Amino acid sequence: MSPVVHVEDLRAEANKNVLLDGVSFALSAGRVLALVGASGSGKTTTGLALLGERSPGVTVSGRVSLSGRVGFVPQQPASALNPVRRLGSVFREIAALHDGDPEDLVGTALRRARVPADLLRRYPHQLSGGQQQRVVLAQALVGDPAVLVADEPTTGQDALTRNEVVGELAAVVAQGVALVLLTHDVEVVRALADEIVVLRAGRVVEAGPANELLTDPRDDYTRALLDTVPPAPTTTPEQAPRLRVRGLTALYRNATVLHDVELEVGERLAVVGRSGSGKTTLGRCLAGLHQQASGEVLLHDRLLARSLRRRSRAELAAVQYVFQDARGSFDEHRPVLDQVARTAVRLRGVRPADARAAALTALNRVGLAQETVLRRPRGLSGGELQRAALVRALLAEPEVLVCDEITSGLDAVTRAGLLDLLAGVPCALVLISHDLDVVARLADRVVVLHEGRVVAHGPVETTLDGAEERMK
Amino acid sequence: MSLASYAARRVALGLVQVLAVVTLVFFLVQALPGDAAVALAGDNPDPARISAIRAAMGLDRSVSERFVSWLAGLPRLDFGVSLVSGRPVADFLFAGIGPTVVLAALTLVLLVPISVLAGVLAALREGSLLDRALTSVSVALHSIPEFALAIVLIAVFGVQLAWLPPTAVGADLLTQPAVLVLPLVVLLARPICSISRLVRAGMLDALASDYVRHARRLGLGESRIRFAHALPNALAPAVQQVARTTDWLLGGVIVVEAVFVIPGLGTVLVDAVAGRDLPVVQGLAVVFAVTTVAVNLVADLVAFRLAPRAEVVA
Repeated sequence: MSPVVHVEDLRAEANKNVLLDGVSFALSAGRVLALVGASGSGKTTTGLALLGERSPGVTVSGRVSLSGRVGFVPQQPASALNPVRRLGSVFREIAALHDGDPEDLVGTALRRARVPADLLRRYPHQLSGGQQQRVVLAQALVGDPAVLVADEPTTGQDALTRNEVVGELAAVVAQGVALVLLTHDVEVVRALADEIVVLRAGRVVEAGPANELLTDPRDDYTRALLDTVPPAPTTTPEQAPRLRVRGLTALYRNATVLHDVELEVGERLAVVGRSGSGKTTLGRCLAGLHQQASGEVLLHDRLLARSLRRRSRAELAAVQYVFQDARGSFDEHRPVLDQVARTAVRLRGVRPADARAAALTALNRVGLAQETVLRRPRGLSGGELQRAALVRALLAEPEVLVCDEITSGLDAVTRAGLLDLLAGVPCALVLISHDLDVVARLADRVVVLHEGRVVAHGPVETTLDGAEERMK
Repeated sequence: MSLASYAARRVALGLVQVLAVVTLVFFLVQALPGDAAVALAGDNPDPARISAIRAAMGLDRSVSERFVSWLAGLPRLDFGVSLVSGRPVADFLFAGIGPTVVLAALTLVLLVPISVLAGVLAALREGSLLDRALTSVSVALHSIPEFALAIVLIAVFGVQLAWLPPTAVGADLLTQPAVLVLPLVVLLARPICSISRLVRAGMLDALASDYVRHARRLGLGESRIRFAHALPNALAPAVQQVARTTDWLLGGVIVVEAVFVIPGLGTVLVDAVAGRDLPVVQGLAVVFAVTTVAVNLVADLVAFRLAPRAEVVA
């Protein structure tokens, strides 16, 4: 079968920096090629080149030939859909660009992406994450493209939505469309890819059929990237629980999102459950960020105030929180180092100069150099910021650290580094996650939440299988 | 939340707000020092005459009794009777509201298209000569107070060049549109600046957004992307500013009405305060409260449609 995508010797440069060097691959109809690599490896530049686009200041050379149209499925569909436009009117605009009856074109695309036609009256915010993903897929399918380029289609989605997305993409591929997948999500690669091209710093490290690369990678980098088998969890001695939760019931607006939750945080507790099960609200209650709640949160048998405004400095330092959105948890106008050092000054009364020195040492230890952390948050990648946020929380010397989905949206290498870091922290952990690999690797106990109730609670070895059942 | 249920909630809230303002105004006016009856008696402060005036005006009744009867009159547009002339307050309000509404409506009809166009043009040519020229001119205009601009315009176009009538004394606004030109220029000068700057900033944000990039990748036409995808998002912040401007215009812009001698609500207010004609002041306060609440209600509904995600916190 002749290939529908043919890329030969693709090069890209920006300011004398080589972004891509000699990238070549080919893909036939109905096949899936996964471009994998850590952030900055050149995946996105390659994907844009397939669309005939390049970022400002980038020069691209080489040959890209496509037989047929190429459609693009963006990452984070929530921000790619215009908030003030109903879906139907945008679909009509897209259909008007192609030959044929607009009604037919839209109808066919909706059917292929399994979007119910009655969603067309809605605005994007009235859809679930999975529905938004299917809508952008349907938009790309209008006019019957030969090739689809999907950019990180599963970033920031929960496990259930991720499975849905994989299912939708597989269905479209079965209809004869060639799919180029830019991703660092190994699960998705495993589920979909026929061929894999591994990129590192703009060069092809390894390329070949998916089953060969996944089972027998030749290169160490490939192994690190594709390796998801978690190492055995580190064993920790039993200790008296540091944090106790009694009869916690929390409201959000008028809906009860947590029902009478009882739990004890000893060493490493994972809180798992689907989106909307109340995981994050539970974490926020512990940290004093959610006030519409009743029940008790006790630290070493001392009652913690419901609102963090009424907690003492020592109590604030004792429970620290690392947010899912690391970028959002930094002030964009001040250098990262200043913000990391500030916690110890505010909460432990350390002198500013000492706090700064301590912060620098701690940041260095997690692989963040001085010149990096002197930048503003804009100059750091998501993974770097997440490490800085973790260091910031640890400098408060907390008893309990609440981590809310802090590995979602990170590539496997960055994630592994962050997990190693977490494995070594000296305090108790509350790990909110839907990534069961992370849970298996770090936690010793698991709480499974479902619709705001604790449905399972126990050691990780015996509880996790049940948890997987419930999340699927 | 649907638009209809949102609108119902906001209307109910608006009624409560109007009631609260009306109550506050009544009791503040009561708390003013001085006695209307004494003032009216003038040169002849005979106690018997003062108490006669009191009885005639109902000032001898208790405050709560007067409040209830005043409140009961409001839905029938019965605002009481002027202390000075004895005519119904409603007559004053109806006389003043005409010129003010004409002026406000004409200003808005010109303001919205001009400022949106200026903002969009500046955003599309960001950093160009056009952008910088529009920025300079609008900031310069914004920094000149109304009375200064009004006096300069009258001196130049009304007196020196004699192209336009300097004031609207005795003129009928609708049959002699020439008298409106200078007041409109003065009223437009500052709002054009504030609104076009907001549209420009909103448009720049929207043009750099993920959904605009996505629309380009889908192959949609550039003008459709600009006006159907970016512009509606850019307008949301400007809508609130247009509402504030509308409210300001409907309050009767006192300086402009005074300089150009336009007998609108602002002039009525100045006359009533000067003559201590408290029922008229109270009546005006009610009118201003209702227009403010109504204008903001409309603005919130428009903003709700333009940004369906953002719940405008009432």
